[in-house]
Amino acid sequence: MAEYLVTFLFIITLNFFLPRLMPGDPFTFLSAGTDEVTVAYSEEQIEKYKAYYGLDKPLINQYVSYIGNMLQGNIGYSIYYNEDVVALVGKRALWTVSLVVVSLTVSCVLGLILGSLAAWNRNNAFDRYLYLVMICFSEIPAFLMGLLLLFAGAAWLGWFPLAGGTSTFAVFATPVQQALDIVHHAVLPVITLVLARLGEFFMIARSSMLTVLSKDYMRTARGKGLSKSRILFVHALRNAAIPVITRMFLSLGTVFGGAVLVENVFNYPGVGQLMRESVMLRDYILMQGIFMFFAVSVLTMNFVADMLYKKLDPRIT
Amino acid sequence: MKLIERLQIIIALLVCAALMLVASGCSSGKSAGTAGVTKPLVINLAGGDAGFLTPFGHYPRGPGIFKMNLIFDSLLERGEKGYIPWLAEKWEISADGKTYIFNLRKGIKWHDGQPLTAADVKFSFEYYAKNPPVSDELAINGKRIIEAIDVVDDHTVKITVDKPNATILGRLGNARIIPRHIWATVDDPKKFNKPEALIGCGPYILKEYSKEQGAYKFEAFKDYWGPKPKVDIVQFIPVSDNVLAFNKGEIDLTAISPDLLAQYENNKEFMIKKNPAFWGYRLIFNMEKCPEFKDKNIRQAFAYAINAQELVEKVARGAAVPASAGYLPVDHIWYNNNVKKYAFNIDKARELLQGKTFSYTMLIGNSNDEIRMAELIKISLAQAGINLTVRSLDEKTRDAAAKKGDYELIINGHGGWGSDADLLRTVYANQKSSGQSPSGNGLYGYNNETINELCNRQLTELDPDKRKALVFQLQEVIAEEVPQIPLYNTTGYIVYRPAKYDGWRYMFDHHEVTHSKISYLESM
Repeated sequence: MAEYLVTFLFIITLNFFLPRLMPGDPFTFLSAGTDEVTVAYSEEQIEKYKAYYGLDKPLINQYVSYIGNMLQGNIGYSIYYNEDVVALVGKRALWTVSLVVVSLTVSCVLGLILGSLAAWNRNNAFDRYLYLVMICFSEIPAFLMGLLLLFAGAAWLGWFPLAGGTSTFAVFATPVQQALDIVHHAVLPVITLVLARLGEFFMIARSSMLTVLSKDYMRTARGKGLSKSRILFVHALRNAAIPVITRMFLSLGTVFGGAVLVENVFNYPGVGQLMRESVMLRDYILMQGIFMFFAVSVLTMNFVADMLYKKLDPRIT
Repeated sequence: MKLIERLQIIIALLVCAALMLVASGCSSGKSAGTAGVTKPLVINLAGGDAGFLTPFGHYPRGPGIFKMNLIFDSLLERGEKGYIPWLAEKWEISADGKTYIFNLRKGIKWHDGQPLTAADVKFSFEYYAKNPPVSDELAINGKRIIEAIDVVDDHTVKITVDKPNATILGRLGNARIIPRHIWATVDDPKKFNKPEALIGCGPYILKEYSKEQGAYKFEAFKDYWGPKPKVDIVQFIPVSDNVLAFNKGEIDLTAISPDLLAQYENNKEFMIKKNPAFWGYRLIFNMEKCPEFKDKNIRQAFAYAINAQELVEKVARGAAVPASAGYLPVDHIWYNNNVKKYAFNIDKARELLQGKTFSYTMLIGNSNDEIRMAELIKISLAQAGINLTVRSLDEKTRDAAAKKGDYELIINGHGGWGSDADLLRTVYANQKSSGQSPSGNGLYGYNNETINELCNRQLTELDPDKRKALVFQLQEVIAEEVPQIPLYNTTGYIVYRPAKYDGWRYMFDHHEVTHSKISYLESM
């Protein structure tokens, strides 16, 4: 527990200092993207805003009040977005977390099934082709896969919406319709993330299953005359699944990273776009909030993985 | 294989279930679109979060400013050729240029039905003095311009300013008028985000806003005082790829890159428009760090050795025009065509450099355009004997370097080139610590008495014709001096379907039709 606390403190300290050491500030807009216009703040206005957000004080004082405020549950007010960071991130976190959880679960389950089947059919055509396909998928960057799916599934076939997390301004008769609408929008981003992670789970499941299948108790099971599916999915899978499941929790950080890019491709209303913008805009307070959110999520999941591993594998205490 | 068969069945079922989900999703989406018999005109545009649309809550960028303007009117409005009467139907400026009397129209209503009076105007300006809005033009060099505001009667206000200045009418005219009965008790306007904060007197009412989706829905205000809104509902919706969304009919107007023009040309269904060139790149010398840049010959050598036409063709792929050496772009209402032009000429550049060679580091942003541009400039300057090292930085890092003067050469891209000609003063006149603007901060180490004097004279000249003559003269001096090198101004293309809506119009100083209030209204 103590190590988690130390890690957390270390992360939030980095979160605080790194953005502020980058060149640039949240109020200077000298340039703009092509065909964009920005407001020009006068030097006096910049001073005023800095005082308003407490950015005129020495860094160390700012750090102390940041920690103090955080202990009271006050994360702060975004400079650019003009809203309480908790509310701002909270509303979008739900979208990102759902994407991540669903795609992680699907890729884990699918990876387990396909990996087990591949192990069972080791070295025949099924295994070899599946292996090849999985390697390919895991090497394609998520955002590229996302773009391909966007063109194919949304623009060309027209089966899925082009952008967003839900139909804009639609009025839904029932919550079921609304849920379906959300699912409909989430299909492509989820598939993208699943394909990006599937290969990894497939490999782990396959090798883990191969080890398990060579164990003595497998021969016993076969000797007892049990059906193949029972041997594979009841006796072997339970043991083979352990590394896959721990991997699932440990890869959360990477999946979050992938989600950030995929959200940008599909204009999905998650934290991803917000994070990119906050860095580009040097919105220190928002950056702190978002990175803290990611840190807490990943640390929690690592902790859960630790616990789960202990539970699943009695040898570890 | 029993197991495989069973799996096949499971997979088949799963696929069926997924397809059903998709199908039901599709049908629910469509039924939402076709509701209603007498169809109001709904225009959909690419969205994106631009903030809470009060003068204090929107984000400091174009889309936020102009969406907010749909809700809040101002004394004057930006028309196609210049400022046009808006909330004020007429105005008078005293001979000494210090008193402005505005006559407001009668019968103007706020969205909540209350009447707008001169007291609201007075209140707005006084409120801004204490709480500057995001887009604040009521200060010059950090000093508030308004000295006093008097309510003469319910429909007349008298504003006294500190000194005569040619830009003041536009500055006063552009300020959003906010309702006193709502804002009088608000202490921290940045955090005031209750629904009533969005009560304005403009042609549109904000009906829905989703921050995380970046979606806005505006509905025409029935009791609007002014020109009738032609578009009943304006919606900004999330879009992943603008051109795909336009082709599918999800949005009604999009910017297109010149490479895609052919798809829409010679087709009655589509209308293509070329935007006025009010956005541009410029190359800035730091004469403090490199005093040799104070030599006009060297600056002119740069101007001759940069092939702006090539940049337009290869970087902007035709969707731009070479910038004027006199800074004000071709589409500016006061552009002077008779300024010195620097056609690409390496021999002339070499001659001006007198066989000397130089090496500099040039900072640029990290967009593809800037990187390509920098490489082309590097090649052509090398022919003249100037060797460049190019360093690409993210936007904010580059801004910080530009502000601190931490560069030898820097390329900066920004909008606003169509604004009032006084922008020449903020760029070229020496004015230490006078604040910054996208075009401003002066030029490090540059000081020219003729330019300073002309800049200050045009600022205080209230007769538009005389002022225009001064600005023309100023452009000629600037083009000869080339204290910095304007590179090119972009003229992006937009495409829309005229059968659905054809009212798009440009404001005289801005390059985006979707930003103009007049685009959505009948002509006055």
